[in-house]
Amino acid sequence: MTQLLLFNITNGLIIGAFYVLMALGLSLILNLSGIINFAHGGFLAIGGYFAFTLTPYLGFWGALLVAPLLTAILGFAIERVLIRRLYGRDPLYSLLLTFGLAFIFQDVTRFIWGAQGLPVSVPAFMAQPLSLDFFFITGYRLFMVGVVAAAVALLFVLLRYTRVGIRIRAGTLDLDTVAALGVNVRALRTLNFAVGIFLAGLSGVLAGGQLGLEPTMGDGLLMPSFIAIIVGGVGSLTGTLLGGLLIGVASGVTSVFFPSASEAVMYVMMAAVLLVRPRGLFGEEGMMT
Amino acid sequence: MSLLEVKSVSKSFGSLAAVREVSLAVAKGELRAVIGPNGAGKTTFFNLISGFFPPTAGSIVFDGVDITRMPAHRRVALGMARTFQITEIFPELSVAENVRIGAEVAAGYSRRPWLSRKNATALRRRVEELLVLAGLAAKADRLVGELAHGDQRAAEIAMALALEPRLLLLDEPTAGMGDQETYDITQLVRRLHRDSNFTIVLIEHDMRVVFHLADRITVLDQGRLLAEGTPKEIAANEAVQAAYLGKVA
Amino acid sequence: MSVVSLPATRRLARRPMALALIWLLLLAAPYWMPLAGGYTALGTRVLVLGLAAMSLNFLLGFTGVLSFGHAAYFGLGAYGAGLALKFATASTPLALVLGTLLGGVAGAVLGALIVRRRGVYFAMVTIAFGQVFYYIAFRWNSLTGGDDGLRGFSRQPLHLGAFTVDILGNAEAFYYFVLLCFAIAVGMMAFLLRSPFGRTLLAIRENERRARFLGIPVELHIWLAFVISCTFISLAGGLDALLNNFANPRELHYSQSGDIVIMAVMGGMRSFWGPLLGAAVFVVLQDYVSSLTTNWMSFIGLLFVVVVLLFPRGLLGFLQRRTDA
Repeated sequence: MTQLLLFNITNGLIIGAFYVLMALGLSLILNLSGIINFAHGGFLAIGGYFAFTLTPYLGFWGALLVAPLLTAILGFAIERVLIRRLYGRDPLYSLLLTFGLAFIFQDVTRFIWGAQGLPVSVPAFMAQPLSLDFFFITGYRLFMVGVVAAAVALLFVLLRYTRVGIRIRAGTLDLDTVAALGVNVRALRTLNFAVGIFLAGLSGVLAGGQLGLEPTMGDGLLMPSFIAIIVGGVGSLTGTLLGGLLIGVASGVTSVFFPSASEAVMYVMMAAVLLVRPRGLFGEEGMMT
Repeated sequence: MSLLEVKSVSKSFGSLAAVREVSLAVAKGELRAVIGPNGAGKTTFFNLISGFFPPTAGSIVFDGVDITRMPAHRRVALGMARTFQITEIFPELSVAENVRIGAEVAAGYSRRPWLSRKNATALRRRVEELLVLAGLAAKADRLVGELAHGDQRAAEIAMALALEPRLLLLDEPTAGMGDQETYDITQLVRRLHRDSNFTIVLIEHDMRVVFHLADRITVLDQGRLLAEGTPKEIAANEAVQAAYLGKVA
Repeated sequence: MSVVSLPATRRLARRPMALALIWLLLLAAPYWMPLAGGYTALGTRVLVLGLAAMSLNFLLGFTGVLSFGHAAYFGLGAYGAGLALKFATASTPLALVLGTLLGGVAGAVLGALIVRRRGVYFAMVTIAFGQVFYYIAFRWNSLTGGDDGLRGFSRQPLHLGAFTVDILGNAEAFYYFVLLCFAIAVGMMAFLLRSPFGRTLLAIRENERRARFLGIPVELHIWLAFVISCTFISLAGGLDALLNNFANPRELHYSQSGDIVIMAVMGGMRSFWGPLLGAAVFVVLQDYVSSLTTNWMSFIGLLFVVVVLLFPRGLLGFLQRRTDA
């Protein structure tokens, strides 16, 4: 029994790590710009597809590095051309815009790469499970967790120790003051958005290797990301990190006892958090309320 | 007995102590001005009285009722109405509608799906009364958002009056106004005080207005109570002078 | 001096001519639609989605609340009515009432949980909760039919004493049935918006802080508006299930919520009838474009982008500006 539990907790952590990567990107954008990026799932898919297209030329590792970058560049362009115009306005409009973008992305990916699922090949040594006991831990899944951990670590270093990162964090708390201090807030937002999209693209590349590619792959990850943010607390990246892991683990553990409820448990957690501690585990009072 | 008794109230935001042990007692029918240099904590003090947030220490008693932790909308029901430094009105509704909403809440209609003809007429009359009092009768159908600053403030005061308050809190009613508008608002407040006998507490920077209107003055400086007295006493008070002049230097 | 005709309520009451025109168009739809290249069922669909959009707008345009998960209540109304017809009753009106009740109660319960949040946070939570129902509709196979949707029911002819109205076989008869429901719902919404309660909602939209400092218990009023909005949108959902004799789980997905919001915005959020216009344009456009190309999703997405960037006040808002100027 304990082994089964351990199995599922570990599995849950791996899933959770994945949610974390996606949710962090979403959270970054939400915190600084107050925008819910519905198109995040679309960027994820595009990242995966870019990797697919690049792999024949750059190999697995090259694609892993370049695809998220390309996706980030796309995000950069979209922010500059479209999203930027909506900052001063009612949040309704940016919601609708990213909504519309999500539709367009899905359709365009289907148009370019076809609606069929595309298989993605990962380096052979990764496809092997590490042991017969923990058969679900393939090298690839461990690799995924490794990449996520590295990305998260890099992100936190960026935010803590670089000038840009500090500005982003300050901007999350009080954008007006940051602007008054002479920081180019527009550029900051664009950069922040691009970083968030980079994470989405990276998620896409990793997801592709695990699940294969198809145009709607981002959809299924958007909701858990939302929930991770709500549970962890709006405005707190640490919260998002822990929220993602928490719901991953909860999901994993539930699948031991109530397999069909493993997705539902995330929503139950969200409801519980809203009832008991509405600002989330690490949320600040007054953030976004 | 005082209508409003604030007992040694403090408010801190983290390590920033905005208000420190300030006390105040306002008698019924009095017009009290709260003054002080910038950053003295006047608006925070007002926010405590009106229920924007609770104090970190101290208590507030309104007409014998302890309202220290009471939410804002319930203080309104008890008879406290307030205006804000930056006029808070309903911009895309007309002046009459703005005032009407206040009057409907005061009459207890805010969840009614329907008004009888009798009630509707009585309400309409009340709204007209208030508009005349505030000098806005001619502009009743204009959208408040389109009015001049002074008129918007008058509309805000009319809305506050619609609540049939026992205490009016006015936060810098003449802020951002030119001489004529300042004069008009001052006259309005004076009418409310002298003719209608409202109890009023106001924050003001314009000393002409303060000395013209106030029965008593409370001076705050850096969150503390510096002095309290009649306008004459305050004008002669050296500590008050130092607080103001000191800031300039 | 009389303050009888106040601008906002005047806007709501409409100039009587415009109102008469709208109702005339609606009443005569089965006759002029075929001439314009349409068909009655399309008109019925416009009414259904128009009701949905107007119900959403009660919350969005008139109370100023960013609710994005409304498709869930639409779906609850649909599944509720369908299940009622399938298992509980042969009476179409009763099934409708049951479906509406289901959505309304769900709205009341969930609304209580989320009513303290605002802005984008509120939107996120409404979406997340909406997805719960989507997920239930998909997973609870035995009850809801899962991916295939709920089938095995159909609207029943109405037996009104001496005569029978065949709303099952006769598309026109069903259109008028829906129009009747629409009229009742819309009438109630207009009535509420014109009441003192309705004015408090406008107040909350215009300036929540001021509303609070006038003594309006803002959270309570938002909750009430939320419940009202959910109730009417689940009525729309029930009617939709009756229209198709089928309940589709995809109609609970948040993308459907987005569609309903864009209908309201496109038509004009600040106007009472705007969302109906928006629904009409959207339905017709979707119908037309999807018959032309498989890439209709891009067009819908593009529509969102265009409306947001160029027509935020919607068609009616745009026209209003023109006539004011």
